[in-house]
Amino acid sequence: MSKREILPQQRRENPDPEERRTPIPWLVLALAAVLAAFGVDYISHSDVNTPPAWGDGRSLAELVGDKPAAAGARIDGGAIFTSMCAACHQATGQGLPGVFPPLAGSEWVVGKPDTAIAILLHGINGAIEVKGKVYQGAMPAFGATLGDGEIAAVLTHIRSQWGNAAAAISAETVAATRARLAQRSEPYAGGEELAKLP
Amino acid sequence: MNTLSILMSAFVLSLVGLGFFIWSQRSRLLSHDGDGSAVIFATGEIGHAETTALQPASGTDADGIDSQELLDRVAADASTAPVVFFFYCCAFVWLLVASAAGLTASIKLHAPDWLVSEAWLSFGRIRTIHLNAVAYGWAPMAGLGTALFIIPRLLKTELVGGRYALLGGALWNAALVAGLGSLAYGVSDGLEWLEIPWQIDILFVAGGALVGLPLILTLLRRKVAHLYVSVWYMGCALFWFPVLFLVANFPGIHRGVEAATMNWWFGHNVLGLFYTPLALASIYYFLPKLIGRPIQSYNLSLIGFWGLAFFYGQVGGHHLIGGPVPSWLVTLSIVQSMMMILPVVAFTVNQHLTLKGHLSALRHSPTLQFICLGGLMYTASSVQGSFEALRSVNVITHFTHYTVAHAHLGLYGFVTLTFFGAIYFVVPRITGRDWPWPRLISVHFWLAAIGIAIYFISLTIGGWLQGSAMLDESRGFMESVQLTLPYLKARSIGGGLMALSHVVFAAHFVRLLIGVRQVAQPNSTYLAAPGAL
Repeated sequence: MSKREILPQQRRENPDPEERRTPIPWLVLALAAVLAAFGVDYISHSDVNTPPAWGDGRSLAELVGDKPAAAGARIDGGAIFTSMCAACHQATGQGLPGVFPPLAGSEWVVGKPDTAIAILLHGINGAIEVKGKVYQGAMPAFGATLGDGEIAAVLTHIRSQWGNAAAAISAETVAATRARLAQRSEPYAGGEELAKLP
Repeated sequence: MNTLSILMSAFVLSLVGLGFFIWSQRSRLLSHDGDGSAVIFATGEIGHAETTALQPASGTDADGIDSQELLDRVAADASTAPVVFFFYCCAFVWLLVASAAGLTASIKLHAPDWLVSEAWLSFGRIRTIHLNAVAYGWAPMAGLGTALFIIPRLLKTELVGGRYALLGGALWNAALVAGLGSLAYGVSDGLEWLEIPWQIDILFVAGGALVGLPLILTLLRRKVAHLYVSVWYMGCALFWFPVLFLVANFPGIHRGVEAATMNWWFGHNVLGLFYTPLALASIYYFLPKLIGRPIQSYNLSLIGFWGLAFFYGQVGGHHLIGGPVPSWLVTLSIVQSMMMILPVVAFTVNQHLTLKGHLSALRHSPTLQFICLGGLMYTASSVQGSFEALRSVNVITHFTHYTVAHAHLGLYGFVTLTFFGAIYFVVPRITGRDWPWPRLISVHFWLAAIGIAIYFISLTIGGWLQGSAMLDESRGFMESVQLTLPYLKARSIGGGLMALSHVVFAAHFVRLLIGVRQVAQPNSTYLAAPGAL
């Protein structure tokens, strides 16, 4: 082996470390016993009997559970409202002043069923007057995402909440209106066009 | 048998098994070498153990003949110097990149309109860049560089195949550049800690394997019979990381809830089974080295190491408390999180016994200051983490800045400060140059220490208040956001100090490199440059 240069930094340092065999302090052993006892106690008091299938690769559809298969089965309009409408119209149905119109006491909500259905099916893009205030509406269309039963359920829900007391709307009514407006592809251009609907 | 009895019996049986295993290691039932402890004393060295850091330890005996230990050390260093130098240079670059990205992300949380013109500067991307630059840049470069330096020294042999490690390091850094680029561009795998696209991960795997290979070859060529505790930690970190990384990044295996479980299995284990052992190994090496005193208890080292190895792999589930995972998995992770207190205390007591009566060495060695503060922060962050896993605490701290503070106490207070100390020790030995301005090391130390203190304390308080506000039904969500603002600003100040300390550190390193190489003076006293050791 060739003679290597020894750096002063290498020369001046302490030897590499080694280990002595000092016994484990009894406090550490006591701690180990305490922790083991804690573990046994914690496990014995835990509720671990959740279904063993949790943690597998279940899909979203499975987690949501069975959809009501039969027509006429009850659909929860309130749940649809919470997931699809409340972000704008708010859980209170009051909307946001100047931005999103209220549903509570709205003449469009409690008015003709066909108009309300048309709004949900095709949406609005234009000025609409609600309870004496004009809103620049940009209501999305739900015709493609919600079925007849779901549109009926959510309309029935909002027509019966927050002091509204209009009649329920059936899935058949929605289906009929949908068929009648089938050729339409763009949103309504505001309150004026909606008012002209038969 | 119901789930409870299976879980309980598995826990108790494995604890008994672990205890028996540690006892058998201690009693050497499983090894066939002789008295290991005698082997590591090179001739002529017994009796020098008590030298304090102030007195240059003698590598030369009274007759002026170099000891074999010194010659081994010189040979080991000569074989590792270019590789370690490369890794450290990369570490410096990633440290600065990560600091800039982290500070930017921090400021954005209280000044959201700042730097919004570029998509890659948006919070979601710059924070991710910060995390990945630390996780795959600074920490592994500094940690692996230190491991490459220490392992041949402790094995009393030369590094075998250093050029593979160089190639591996180059591949690794190329992968990181590509990975951070794709994150900045907005392409990500979408799992925290695993954001870098899996196609790029292939490069990391190849690079990592090339870095690990020389260390395994070196291990096979060792000239000592007894492996010092640092070697256990570093060797296992090099085994654990590829397993974690491969399993977690392999595309198409995990989905849904299982992917989340795997995500935190990886996220937590990469901290505990990669950075932590690399940093602990550094402390186990440098602390006794700097004060010139052996580690006091091999028995405690055994508990600390095997406890970590056994308990840590199961703790990741505590990130999923309240999630749709089997509750036995969460319960087990909480229990094992608490069990982690045992190895942490064993490590702490061991270092305390070693340091006892030699605290004065701290005054003269800034390297030791970094190492000791790092060791203390290991204890602090680990014990904090154990209690954070309890459901009663977690219900408040989960999804708050409290967790962020905790993460930085671990990865900065413990791991990063320890690597700073290691770099201060190693660089003069691989370059032959002393740090030109020892005072600057103290400036670095205090900026970093005060910075992380401000960072940790402010975010811990802010996070706790945030969690309490989120649980309070009578207060709106925005209130829980707004009340954190002063604490987030304080965090930016702390983070700014930390970043400043890194600039000081890097500037010092550059000055060392462009300075004139000192001529070797065998009798030079290092009192003139106390920062050197």
